[in-house]
Amino acid sequence: MQKLVSSLRDGVGFDLLLVGAAMVFLVALAGLPLLYNILMSFQQVDMFTLGTFVRPFVGFANYVAVITQPEFWLVTRNTFVFVIASIAGQFTLGFALALFFTLRFPGGATIRGLFLVSWVMPGLVVGAIWSWILAGDFGVLNAILTRLGIIDANIFWKSDPAVSLWAVIIANIWLGLAFNMLLLSVGLASIPRDLYEAAELDGANAPQRFWTITLPMMRSTIGAVLSLGLIGTLQQFDLFPAITEGGPANSSTVAQFWAWQMSFKLYDFARGATVSVLMLLLVLVASIVYVHSTRNEVRG
Amino acid sequence: MTRPYVKWLLLAAALVMAAFYLFPLYWMYVTSLKTGSEIFANPPTFWPNSPDFSVYPQVWARRTMSTYLWNSVVIAGGVTAITVALGTGCAYVLARYRNIWIDVGLFSILMLQVLPASVMVTPIFVGFNQFGLLATPRFAVILAASAKAMPFFVVLVRATFMSVPRELEEAALVDGNSRIGAFFSIVLPLARNGILVCAILTFMTAFGEYIYSKSIIQDTSLQPASVGLSSFIGPNSRDWNSIMAYVAIYVTPILAIFVLLQRRIVSGLTSGALK
Repeated sequence: MQKLVSSLRDGVGFDLLLVGAAMVFLVALAGLPLLYNILMSFQQVDMFTLGTFVRPFVGFANYVAVITQPEFWLVTRNTFVFVIASIAGQFTLGFALALFFTLRFPGGATIRGLFLVSWVMPGLVVGAIWSWILAGDFGVLNAILTRLGIIDANIFWKSDPAVSLWAVIIANIWLGLAFNMLLLSVGLASIPRDLYEAAELDGANAPQRFWTITLPMMRSTIGAVLSLGLIGTLQQFDLFPAITEGGPANSSTVAQFWAWQMSFKLYDFARGATVSVLMLLLVLVASIVYVHSTRNEVRG
Repeated sequence: MTRPYVKWLLLAAALVMAAFYLFPLYWMYVTSLKTGSEIFANPPTFWPNSPDFSVYPQVWARRTMSTYLWNSVVIAGGVTAITVALGTGCAYVLARYRNIWIDVGLFSILMLQVLPASVMVTPIFVGFNQFGLLATPRFAVILAASAKAMPFFVVLVRATFMSVPRELEEAALVDGNSRIGAFFSIVLPLARNGILVCAILTFMTAFGEYIYSKSIIQDTSLQPASVGLSSFIGPNSRDWNSIMAYVAIYVTPILAIFVLLQRRIVSGLTSGALK
């Protein structure tokens, strides 16, 4: 007993205690729910069995039910469009800004810091503000676009099925821009200056320097940023209830919002869990890419 | 960079881009000060004709914002307390050793960071229901949101501990300190600033937490400000000046903290996020 106490005070026991406390907490509140989610996707979960611990197994019935749902393919397509367009927008604009802020000018660091504001704002608040900017009749974006002569008639961003998903994408790009720029700036700062100076002496122009030095040196950073972008986009939820609520007619519903609607609007927890499991497969791909790119960084 | 005017041109370009980027924030404040009829003016006015601050006290009282914001503070404070208490020690151990078990631990923490809250909320709700945790909904949200916040906290704080020189801790051990003593009197004080920045980040994120609170807390008097906001926005919202006033009251404290600590936060993130 005394040995145990002294190990906890002054030995490996101390380390194990510190790690163990956090790990037990994480396993209980993240690991177990994850497994429970998979279990529920094979069970019948309704209002009668919600509180019980033993539920009837239904095999793959929930998966069949989800996939044969009429909106399944629409939601799948929306999820991919949302993810790809958001990442493309965040990454391109973030990279452009990060490159711009490598130039030295007075106040540069301070202004760059301003670009991180969106990152600390609650997603629901960002959604509310964009919901107002994108409003069909009185939104300021339509007014500006009309004044510039880009559009003739108002675009009904939130109620037109053709563009409703893009309304959320625009807001999500604004939200994620900051994080992309920050991480890419870190990557750019770690490229040795003398590489550029040597290339310049050899007569390489700016685009050549970008393609032959910047991009290859940034490879692992770009991998990490893209996979973190994928993870972040799949986690994005708050914008949907604030801007479109997935509508009209599911035209802006993505998997993570669909899963939540199943559970908490229709109280069909089994299907909610099933959509979640399907989404986890996507997340798994993203994390494999992420871990792979961070490992490259350690080695390189 | 040789000609002097180039850098002023760059500054001008940067200011223009920042203005574009910050426009949504500007629009939030401007809209909140407009009257009910002016928000529907076409073309919209970019500066309110007669700024009307009375909407702020009105929204504060009518939307019972003191209750909502207090609940947000309780939830964010609880999440931060649990995350710091459990996450700091974990980060310290993960920074101190380098072997296969540490890699496994780090890997599993990275994996947990990846899980979307919208996926976790279904099993957490059903599980909490079975164990009777839904009777104390704010506490249930604190538990769920802490599990979400902790992986990110551990990864960032680990980077802070890595920058504390090992020799200082070893010297303290040689001088007769126990491991506990060295941890509390040497390592923790040296890493204090980094931990503080990460704790503030955790608090700000939890302050805006929405999905767990929306799904778990049914009682209006226990809901945080995000759920309070969601109850009066939607595709067909009309009273945009009150919504924007609510939103402004909600985020201005966060924005103020961020602007004050901007440099610290950025350097804390950049050292940890990519490692």
